[in-house]
Amino acid sequence: MALKTSWIISLKALRRNKLQTALTMVGMTIGVATVLTMIALGSGAQAAIQDQVKAAGMNLIVVKAGNYQLQQDRLPDDAIEPAAYYQSPGSAPRLDSGVYVPGAASLRRSFFHPEDDPFAVHDHPTSRQRLGDSEAGLGSAATLTISDADAIRQISGVQYVSEGVHENAHIGYQGQRWFTRMHGDDVSMPKIKRAWVFTHGGYFTKREEAKAEQVVVLGGIVAEKLFGKDNPVGKTVTLWNQSFKVSGVVSSSSWMVAPAAGDDEFDAIYIPVTTVQKLLNLSKLNDITVTTVSTGDVTRVTKAITDLLRSRHRIAFRTPDDFLVTSQARKALTGGGMRSDVQRAVVGNVSGLEKVTLEQLGKTLDRASATMTALLASIATVSLIVGGIGIMNIMLLSVTERTREIGIRRAVGARAQDVLLQFLLESITLSVTGGLLGVAIGYGVSLFISKILQWSTQVSPLSVALSFGVSAAVGIFFGYYPAKQASQVLPIASLKYE
Amino acid sequence: MTSKIPVISIRNLTKTYQMGEVAVHALRSVSLDINAGEFVTVVGPSGSGKSTLMHILGCLDQPSRGQYFLDGKDVSRLSDDEVSSVRNSKIGFVFQGFNLLTRTSALENVELPLLYGANPVSASERRNRAMAALAAVGLESRYEHHTNQLSGGQQQRVAIARALLNNPSILLADEPTGNLDSRTSVEVMDIFQSLKEERGITIVLITHEPDVAAYGSRIIAFKDGVITADELNGQRRTARGELAEIPEVVQETA
Repeated sequence: MALKTSWIISLKALRRNKLQTALTMVGMTIGVATVLTMIALGSGAQAAIQDQVKAAGMNLIVVKAGNYQLQQDRLPDDAIEPAAYYQSPGSAPRLDSGVYVPGAASLRRSFFHPEDDPFAVHDHPTSRQRLGDSEAGLGSAATLTISDADAIRQISGVQYVSEGVHENAHIGYQGQRWFTRMHGDDVSMPKIKRAWVFTHGGYFTKREEAKAEQVVVLGGIVAEKLFGKDNPVGKTVTLWNQSFKVSGVVSSSSWMVAPAAGDDEFDAIYIPVTTVQKLLNLSKLNDITVTTVSTGDVTRVTKAITDLLRSRHRIAFRTPDDFLVTSQARKALTGGGMRSDVQRAVVGNVSGLEKVTLEQLGKTLDRASATMTALLASIATVSLIVGGIGIMNIMLLSVTERTREIGIRRAVGARAQDVLLQFLLESITLSVTGGLLGVAIGYGVSLFISKILQWSTQVSPLSVALSFGVSAAVGIFFGYYPAKQASQVLPIASLKYE
Repeated sequence: MTSKIPVISIRNLTKTYQMGEVAVHALRSVSLDINAGEFVTVVGPSGSGKSTLMHILGCLDQPSRGQYFLDGKDVSRLSDDEVSSVRNSKIGFVFQGFNLLTRTSALENVELPLLYGANPVSASERRNRAMAALAAVGLESRYEHHTNQLSGGQQQRVAIARALLNNPSILLADEPTGNLDSRTSVEVMDIFQSLKEERGITIVLITHEPDVAAYGSRIIAFKDGVITADELNGQRRTARGELAEIPEVVQETA
C-alpha cells in the first residue's frame, strides 16, 4: 500500500480524536519549543560573548605616546598584570627637551611644542595645567603625530587607524553643563568600536574631519544629561567657548555593556582630531588606535608598528621606545570594559594570561559557552523525552482502545504492516506537527526574550533542524512499540472485543 | 452439480480452543462443500461452533486441523499477508454489531476495503465506487452522515455496501439481523436475496433464529461442533413479498 494512502488513513484517525490529538501534540510542542529556546539562549550568549570580546578589541592595538615601562622583563608564568616599573632615585629620566642622551634609559621629547614654552600665554589650559605632574606619564608625552598615524596606515594587515587626543571638557547647552571626556578621533572610530549604535544622526564625516569643522558626536549619557529625551542632532553645544554642531548620538549595541555615567565611551563626546588640534593648538597625539584585519595578525602588526615608529623617531639600538604598543586583549580582560563575570570566567580559566594568544583565548571562551549551551540543551532534552513518552502513552492507550478498529481494518484486508504503518505514521504526524509548532513557538519566545529582556538569542538553522529531527526521531522511537503492538492484534480477537 | 469446483470446500476441519485447563472443541472434524450462488444459512444454539466456522471461512481465524479450500486454493497454508489479501478481495463481512468505524462518515467506511487493495485506487475512483455501493443499498443521500447518526438498519446497509465494494465471491454474515427490529431485518434479508439472485454471490449467513434461516436456499444445522442436518430449503421465505405486509414502524427521515 502506498505511503500516501497510509498517511491519509492516519490523518483521518487522528482527526477522529481531536482533543486527544491536540493534547498529545502540546506535549511535543512544549518539548521542542523549550529545546529551541534553550539553544537560542545558549548560542545567543555564546555569540554575545564573542561579539563582546571583539568589541573589547581582540584585534585592537593601541599605540600610546610615552613609555613608563622602560624595561620589559620576561614575566613569570602566573603573572596576570605586568608590574609597573619603578624608577630608582638615582636614574630618574632626564627630560632634556628635544635632545637625545644616549646610553641612559630616558624619555625624550621629540620636538618643541608651543605649549612647552613657559612664557607663552595660551587661551586654553595647557597640558601642564590640565594634567599636573602626570604630564610625563603614559599618553601625554608628545611623541606621536598625525604623520606617524598616516605611516601606520601603510602597514599591511592594518584595517583602521584612528588618531586620538583625549581631554576632559565641559560641554554646555542652554545653561546645562556637563563635565565629561572629550575624544578627538578619526572618522574610522565607529568601525573600530563595533559595539556602537547611533540612536540619532551619525558620526562626523571624512570631509568634516579634513576641514576641521566644529562638529561633535555625543555619547548617550551626555545627550541625556543635556537634552533629555530630545533629539540633539543639528543643535549647537558649546565647548571651550566655541560652538559645535551635534551630528549624532552614539550608544551601546550590546546588552552586556550598558552606557553608564562616568564610563569612557558613552559619557564622552567625539570630535574630529583635526578640530581638536586646531582649537587646542596641539600637534601631538595621546594615542593611535589601530585595528588589524585579522585577530591572528595582531602580534605581527604590533612588531611592525614598533619598528616603524622606532625608525621614524630615530631611536637608537638598545634605547627604549618612546611609545608603548599594547594589544587590547589583555587590557580588555583585566582593565574593565567587559562584564565582570565573563572577565572572571576567562581570567580564572586561563593561566599565564600574558602569554595566551588571542586564538587560545577565543577557544577558551568558546568552550565555556559551549558548556553552557550543552547544559541548557540537556535540560531541554528531558522535556523532549517527556513529550515522547506522552506520545507513547497515548499510542499504547489507543491501541487498546481501538482494538475493534484494528480488527475491522484487518477484516477488510489490512495487512499487519498496514496497521503498523498507520500507527507509526500517526505518532510521527503527532510529533512532527507538534515539533513544527514548537519550532514556531520557540522562535517566537526567543524573539520575545531578546526584545523584552534584552538577552541576546540566536536561532540558527541548525538548531531548528535539530529540534525538528529530534521530534521526528521521538515519533518513530516512541511510536514503534505501540504500532508493533497494534499490528499484532489478531483479526479474530479484535472482533470479539467489545 | 458437483461438476465445477465448489467455492468453499472444507475437509475434516477441527478447531480446539484452550481455555485455561479446559480444551473447548468448537469444531469437530467438519467437512462441507458450498457451491457458487448458494445462500446457505447456518443455524444452531450458541456454543454450537457456527461462529467459529464463520471465522475460519472468513480467514479471520486458523483451523487447528483440517483443510479449507477457497476457490480451490488451500488458504490454511497461506501467510498472514496473503490471507489479508484474500479477505480484501474475495470475502465480504457483515456482522451483528455492524463493525463500522465510529466518528467516520458512511462514505469513508465504505471506502475502507479499497485502501487496502493490492492495486492503488485514486481518491476520486474510491469515492465513485463507494458512492455506487451506497446507492445500491439506498443510502446515497446519507453518505456524509457519521455512523452514530444512522439507524441500526442504515448502519447494517452501510456495512453491506462496504462488504460488497471489492465484488467478493463470498458474503459472510454473522447474525446480521440480531440487533435489528423485524422490519429492518426483513429489509436486510431482501438485500441478501436480491444479491444472490442478481449477482450470484455466495452467501453464508449464521443465525440462531430458525425463521431467519428460512430465507436461505440451503440450511445447515450445527450442534456441539458437528453438522446435524444439511438440506436444501423447500419452503424458502421471500423477503420482498413480506415487506409489503409489514407496517413501517420507524419513519425514516432524510
